[in-house]
Amino acid sequence: MLKILEILFNGLSMGAIYALLALGFVLIFKSTGIINFAQGELAMVGAFLCYNFATLMGVPYLVAFFITLIVAAVLGGIVDILFFRKMVGEPMFSTIMVTVGLASILTCIAGLIWGHDVYAIRSPFTNKTAAIGGIVLSQGSLYTIGISVILLVLFVLFFNRSLLGIAMKGTAEDADTSGLMGINVKRIHMAAWAIGALVAAVAGIFLAEQSFVRLVMSHTGIKAMAAAILGGMESIGGAILGGVIVGVVEGLAANYLSGMEIGGFHFGDIKDVTAFAIMIIVLMIRPHGIFGKEKVERV
Amino acid sequence: MSGKFKVSYREDMALFQTLWVKVWLGILVACMLVSPFFLTRYQLSILNEMGIATIGALGLNLLTGFTGQISLGHGAFLAIGAYTTALLTGKLGIPFVLSLVLSGLMAAILGMIVGIPSLRLKGLYLALGTLAFGFIVEYIIFHWDLTQGDMGMAVRRIGIGGFMMKSERHYFYLITGFAALATICARNLVRTKIGRNFVAIRDRDTAAEAMGISLAKYKVMAFAVSSFYAGVAGCLMAHYQKWIVPGSFDISLSIAYIAMIILGGLGSVLGSILGAILITGIPHLIIYLTDLFKESYPALSGLIVDFKLGIFGLIIVITLLFEPKGLFGMYRRTKVYWKTWPFKY
Repeated sequence: MLKILEILFNGLSMGAIYALLALGFVLIFKSTGIINFAQGELAMVGAFLCYNFATLMGVPYLVAFFITLIVAAVLGGIVDILFFRKMVGEPMFSTIMVTVGLASILTCIAGLIWGHDVYAIRSPFTNKTAAIGGIVLSQGSLYTIGISVILLVLFVLFFNRSLLGIAMKGTAEDADTSGLMGINVKRIHMAAWAIGALVAAVAGIFLAEQSFVRLVMSHTGIKAMAAAILGGMESIGGAILGGVIVGVVEGLAANYLSGMEIGGFHFGDIKDVTAFAIMIIVLMIRPHGIFGKEKVERV
Repeated sequence: MSGKFKVSYREDMALFQTLWVKVWLGILVACMLVSPFFLTRYQLSILNEMGIATIGALGLNLLTGFTGQISLGHGAFLAIGAYTTALLTGKLGIPFVLSLVLSGLMAAILGMIVGIPSLRLKGLYLALGTLAFGFIVEYIIFHWDLTQGDMGMAVRRIGIGGFMMKSERHYFYLITGFAALATICARNLVRTKIGRNFVAIRDRDTAAEAMGISLAKYKVMAFAVSSFYAGVAGCLMAHYQKWIVPGSFDISLSIAYIAMIILGGLGSVLGSILGAILITGIPHLIIYLTDLFKESYPALSGLIVDFKLGIFGLIIVITLLFEPKGLFGMYRRTKVYWKTWPFKY
C-alpha cells in the first residue's frame, strides 16, 4: 500500500512537470493558434540558464530562479518577433514546421554553449526529504506540485478575469476581428510567447531537480504534448489533469512493466514511451481530448 | 509567352514536354553514366547517399506535399524497411531483389495502419500521431532481441543472381537506377487520377469528398505509397551502410527529410530531388569546412553533430518564412521572370 502511494506521489510530481509544460502549450495555442513543438526545448534552455546562473556564476538559487524566468520571457518574446510575427495566418503545416525548426535551432545553440554533458543544479532542496505519514517524499517534488497548483490557479484567473487574458482568448478565436476591436494582436502574441517560455522555464528547472540538466531533457516536451492532447488542447484544467494522468500512468508502468519480457521483447525504459502510447490511444479514441470541444467543420 | 502550344492530347500528356527537356535529361543521364569513372570513392559515396535520400524524400513529398498529410515519423518507415531487409536477407537468406520489394511492402502495410487514424485526424493531431509512432518504433527496435537493440545489425552485401555488389561504383549504378525509377514512378503517379485525387484532398478534403473522392481509400493509399518509398530507401540504406543501429533512425532523420521537401518545394517531384541533394550535401560541406579550419580551431570538429541539426532547423524556418514554395518555387518564378522580361506579367 505504501509503495503504491509512493509511486502515485512520484507520478504526481512528474505529472506536475508535464502539466506545467502542457500549460505552456495550451497558453500559446489559446492565444496564437500555434502548436509549439519547441516547448521542451524552451524548458531545456530554461534549465540550462538556471544552471548557468546558480552553479556556474554562483548567484543564490532563488535569485537565479527569478533571473532565469525573466531571461526566458525575453527569449520567448524574441522568438515571437523573429519567427512567428510573419507566420500569422499561415497554414498549420507551416507554423508547426517552424516550431520544429525552432526546436532544432535551440538544441543546436544549447549544445554549442553548454555541450552534451550532464549537469546538476544545486538547489536548497536537493537531496532533502520530507516524511508525511510514513511516506518519504523529496522536497523538490513537493515544491513542484505546490508551484504547479499556484500557477494553475493564476492562469485560470488570468484567462477569465484579466483584460489581457480575455484579449488573448479573443485573439486566438479570430485575430482579424480582435484587431478591429482595438486589440494589439502583435503585442498579445508576444505576451503569449513570453509567458509560454516562462512557464516552460519553470518546468525545466523543476525537471532538472528530478533528473539532471542535459540536452535530451527536451524530449519531455513531446511527452507533455501527450498530456495536452489528453486534456484537450484548449483547456487549462485539461492540461493539468492530462499531465497528472500521464505522470501517474508512467510511474505505474515503470514500476510494474519494466523488467518484463515477452518473446524476446524487453520492457525496459518503458517510461520513455508510455506517454506516446497514451497519445496514440487518445488520438484513436477521442482526438479532441477530455475537455476539448469537437471541431465542426464548415464546407 | 513562349511560342509553344500544345495542339493534341498526346503532346499534353507527354512525360517530357519539350525537346529541350529531353536533351538536358539525355546529358544528365550521360553524365551519371560516366561520372563514376572520374569521381573519387568519397564523392561517389556522397552521391549514393543523395540517391537514397531522393527516394525517401519523394515518398514524403507524395504524402505531405501532394496529399497534405503531415508526417513527423518518416524516419520510422525507413527503419522498418532497413530492419526488414536485414532480417530477411540475414536470418532467412532471401535474395536482395525479393527482400527489397518485401521491405517496401512491410513499410507500406505499417504505413496503412498509421494512415487509418488520419481519416479522423488532421494537421496537428496527425503530426503528433506520426511522431508518437516514430518514437514507439525506435523503442521497439531498441528493446527487441530480434533486432539486437543498440548493438545494431550487420546487413549482407547485395547479390543479384550471383553478382556481388562490391565497389562504391556498383552501388552507385544500383542506387541511381532505383532513384531514377522512383522519380519516374512519382512523376507518373501525380498526373494520374490517383495523383489528382491526392492534390484535391490536400486542397480541401471536405470538398474532395463531396466531389466523389473516397477519402478513406486515397488517404490510406497516400500513406501506403509514401511508406513504400521509405521502406525501399531504408532497405537500400541498410545494404549500402552494411550496419544499422536504431539511433540513426531517430527524430532527427525525420526532421532531415522534412527539411528536404520544404527546402525543395512541397508538392513538386523536382523539388524533392533538389532538396534531397542539398540536405544530404550540407553535412559534407560542413565537414569539409571544419576540416579547413581544423588547424586554427581544433574544437570545431566535435561540434558537427550540433551544427547539422541546427542548420536543418534554420533551413526549414528560413524557407517557410521567406520562400514557402521552396527552391522549386524560386526556379519557377525566375523562369517566368525571364520569359516575360521586360514586362512584369
